[in-house]
Amino acid sequence: MGAEGSIAVAWNHRHLIDLDAVTWPEIELIMRTTDEMKGVLARPIRRVPALNGRRVTMLFYEASTRTRVSFETAARNLSADVVSIATATSSVTKGESLVDTIRTLEALGAEILVMRHSVSGAPYLAADIFGGHVLNGGDGWHAHPTQALLDLYTMREHLPDGDLHGRKVAIVGDILHSRVARSNIWSLTAAGADLWLCGPATLLRGFDRWAAAWSGGAIPGHGRFNVTSDIDAALRDADVVMALRIQRERMQGGLLPSLREYAARFGLNAERVALAKPEAIVMHPGPMNEGVEIAPDVAVSGRAVITEQVANGVAVRMALLYLLAGVHETARTGESIR
Amino acid sequence: MTDRQIMTGEEIRRAIVRISHEIVEKQAGTQGLALVGIQRRGVPLARRIADAIEEHEGAHLPVGALDITFYRDDLSLVAQQPIVKGTDLPFDLNGATVVLVDDVLYTGRTIRCAMDALIDFGRPRAIRLAVLIDRGHRELPIRADHVGKNVPTSREELVHVHVAEIDGSDEVSIARKLRSSDPATAGS
Amino acid sequence: MSPKPDARRVGARSGGRQVHLGPEVGQVVGRFELEGAWLVDPVSGREGPGEIVVTDGLLESVVWLKGTEAAGVDDKGVVVAPGFFDLHAHFREPGFEDAETIASGSAAAAHGGYTSVALMPNTSPALDEPGVMERIRSAARAGGSPLEILAFGAVSAGRAGDQLSAMGELADAGVLGFSDDGAPVRTPKLLRSALLYAGMLGLPVVDHAEDSELTAGAEAHEGYVASVMGLAGWPAAAEVNAVSRDLAVLEDALRDEPRARLHLAHVSTAAALALVRRAKAAGLPVTCDVTPHHLALADEWIAGARRWSWEALGADGTSRDPWADGALHATPYNTALRVNPPLRTPADAAACLAALLDGTADAVATDHAPHTVVDKEVEFGLAANGISGIETALGVLLALVDAGRLPLARALAALTVGPAGVVASWPRLATTPAARRRGLTEGAPADLVVFDRADRWRVTPEALRSKGKNSPLLGRDLSGRVLLTVAGGRLAYEDREADSTES
Repeated sequence: MGAEGSIAVAWNHRHLIDLDAVTWPEIELIMRTTDEMKGVLARPIRRVPALNGRRVTMLFYEASTRTRVSFETAARNLSADVVSIATATSSVTKGESLVDTIRTLEALGAEILVMRHSVSGAPYLAADIFGGHVLNGGDGWHAHPTQALLDLYTMREHLPDGDLHGRKVAIVGDILHSRVARSNIWSLTAAGADLWLCGPATLLRGFDRWAAAWSGGAIPGHGRFNVTSDIDAALRDADVVMALRIQRERMQGGLLPSLREYAARFGLNAERVALAKPEAIVMHPGPMNEGVEIAPDVAVSGRAVITEQVANGVAVRMALLYLLAGVHETARTGESIR
Repeated sequence: MTDRQIMTGEEIRRAIVRISHEIVEKQAGTQGLALVGIQRRGVPLARRIADAIEEHEGAHLPVGALDITFYRDDLSLVAQQPIVKGTDLPFDLNGATVVLVDDVLYTGRTIRCAMDALIDFGRPRAIRLAVLIDRGHRELPIRADHVGKNVPTSREELVHVHVAEIDGSDEVSIARKLRSSDPATAGS
Repeated sequence: MSPKPDARRVGARSGGRQVHLGPEVGQVVGRFELEGAWLVDPVSGREGPGEIVVTDGLLESVVWLKGTEAAGVDDKGVVVAPGFFDLHAHFREPGFEDAETIASGSAAAAHGGYTSVALMPNTSPALDEPGVMERIRSAARAGGSPLEILAFGAVSAGRAGDQLSAMGELADAGVLGFSDDGAPVRTPKLLRSALLYAGMLGLPVVDHAEDSELTAGAEAHEGYVASVMGLAGWPAAAEVNAVSRDLAVLEDALRDEPRARLHLAHVSTAAALALVRRAKAAGLPVTCDVTPHHLALADEWIAGARRWSWEALGADGTSRDPWADGALHATPYNTALRVNPPLRTPADAAACLAALLDGTADAVATDHAPHTVVDKEVEFGLAANGISGIETALGVLLALVDAGRLPLARALAALTVGPAGVVASWPRLATTPAARRRGLTEGAPADLVVFDRADRWRVTPEALRSKGKNSPLLGRDLSGRVLLTVAGGRLAYEDREADSTES
């Protein structure tokens, strides 16, 4: 039968580690499911039994209270049982290797693993040996798919018809080390946005070459993007302005003269934000270094949607836990995890 | 796959009218009544019942839609039917007598989910059930208060309810399943 | 002499190509006849249909067939070549026997068709004084493998990069030269001293050319793939800088010691190879090698591509985009791909091949680097560097041959006379056995490999004799199954798994 005809796509990814293997119709599915999850969050009882009895385990090798609590809230809202390992250490010499930890967690009944790790690619190793589902909460510099999805969701809420085609999005900050930037490249180029990445040259290394590789529409389903150190050019007439956190370590690593200089040349202050469209929104994945990448008055201005991002984050994560949990294929050996 | 028609559009119309009278009769009036259709086809059916009640009683009853996707106990269907269609309950459930409306009553699991969902929204005074077709094979102790037509079926059969608002015409038919892996389209 | 019962005849291509010899590994091959095979002698440059006979460990006869006798024998079936010589392998003993021992490494080498292997000194203790050389020799003897096991001594004591090691004593103990491999020779000053002192002894310095300051924390070749995958970049400049430094220091050292010699290990970038090409043209006594993995794999494998490097080249010689091509099929971040120097771009791989073809690269050396599961089954950025490659080197080169990019004779030369020629260029060793020209020479002890290009084998953990299963080629079929390896007249490896319908 299948006369429930409006659904053109089903979800069959056992894991969500990166957005490179997710198609635009699948992203639309995530957005629609997130709409419904927001509906659940608006109810007096903000819970549904969809993941009743399922065990969701947080395996966080990188400290992150906000992301972890967001995932835990999402899992509990779906009535899942939640176990959290907040400050795991991965080491063969001291503590337990990642592989051993995951085998132990699986033996303890973990079904969905939400992982955050400081080394790029770690979730793929986990997915290789774990029989359940892996949801990437951020790995090294590589990917943070749930962040990019909640960013996308938030942008769509503020744009007419939720359409990003041709809309200018400027992401400013430490692009080089940012998994948020990389995942946003995949999602925003798939959405047809006019994406601009901006930062000091030392923190943009390699992105010119990436942008050049994508400039001719070479990647199916993804458009081009721009890379520049000219903050005014990046912000001018932007519909969305996003600041990324600058870490102190970049100074020690010889990549930045000082945070003060970064704030002066690249910080999102009121004059810079005024270059964007009057109705443009200001975003930040958090936590913020107010006074460095974003001025305190901008962070609380009417244009800032940072708290909405947080709320949307719970809904997006509920949507993803729900979709992943519904996939029941068992892994075939040798099959690629994408 | 040859379908066997078991209700025509006219028969459906009469069943709706009869059910609407029964609902009012059981309530001894229209006070406190609310209709909630279960997505997907229960929703237009609930509206038609509400319209019929308005016509013969003059009372305008609140009508809501309930999506039980997040209340299912079998997530394996998510991959095939991931999309939710929306829950909209524009009235206060507390103290109301809610009549759930669905197209087909089968195992009873959908109704159990619907009751769980309703109770998360508030505390109705009573919950009743009106269905267009009762095809038997209950797996839970659930029964309908109001039935359009009782249709004995075998597990190899599918019941298709078509409503004009969604399918373009009004009809109920039975077909034989082609393969055992067909999604359970005959619902509840 | 009469044929001993362990003789077998083997025909090319048509059944019965089974080689079941009586002797155990390590024992002298009493009699072995091989007819209708394709012989390749890289010394004379001759190749063609032929027959060989081995008697009491000597290559008694090499017969080249002509006319009708040669009919039906081509270079696509059973091939006979001199045993291969690996200039660069890590057998991890002493100190890291979990990863490999001299015995397991020798078995792996023989399985790969190698009869001579030069070991690198990054053992524990490092090979910085003759006592360790003695340990290695006795381990080789005790293991019973007939392979010729050679070794490089460390440049610096403990490979710490400060003081010179006991170079004179090591030279007397028979090392091939000096290297701090694993790491570069730490400073230009140390390199200059090493080149002078080693040159005085008639031995080379082998440098692993890497500017460590530029590679701190690096995970993968600095390029498009690393940018997309969020991996810390390993710039090509790190190799170019180091090679540039080494060549300048060599030129300087030669003024004082004309016997100074430099060999650059596993050169991987087009830019560094260009520097070597210019230096050779200018007459500098520098040699270099390239690895099979730098010839055939590329950084896109880390993203999940599994096509050979030449399949990822555009018509204009530029590297293709694996995301654009939809070429990503395997799980990304496979730690078997983490190696130093890192896998580079397809264009760099093409430059390695060009260097091999024009002689800029003198040899193929495997840099066989076995690791335990514990050291590799971890997050990519934490994994040890190294590919277990001595058993797959032949198969990888044959893939290049099959693709028409490298003639068979050149491939085999790169594994035999190439490395032999490098050793022969080191004055102290020029007339020693290590520098012997590896050909099919009648009357010499049999040192050869027999492999079948028509027979493929699957690379699996079980098929690999090495303890190191860290090969990116696991699960892949390679052509050129090795049937027989004979080292110094003794059986080193015999294939016993193929169909045993032999009478």
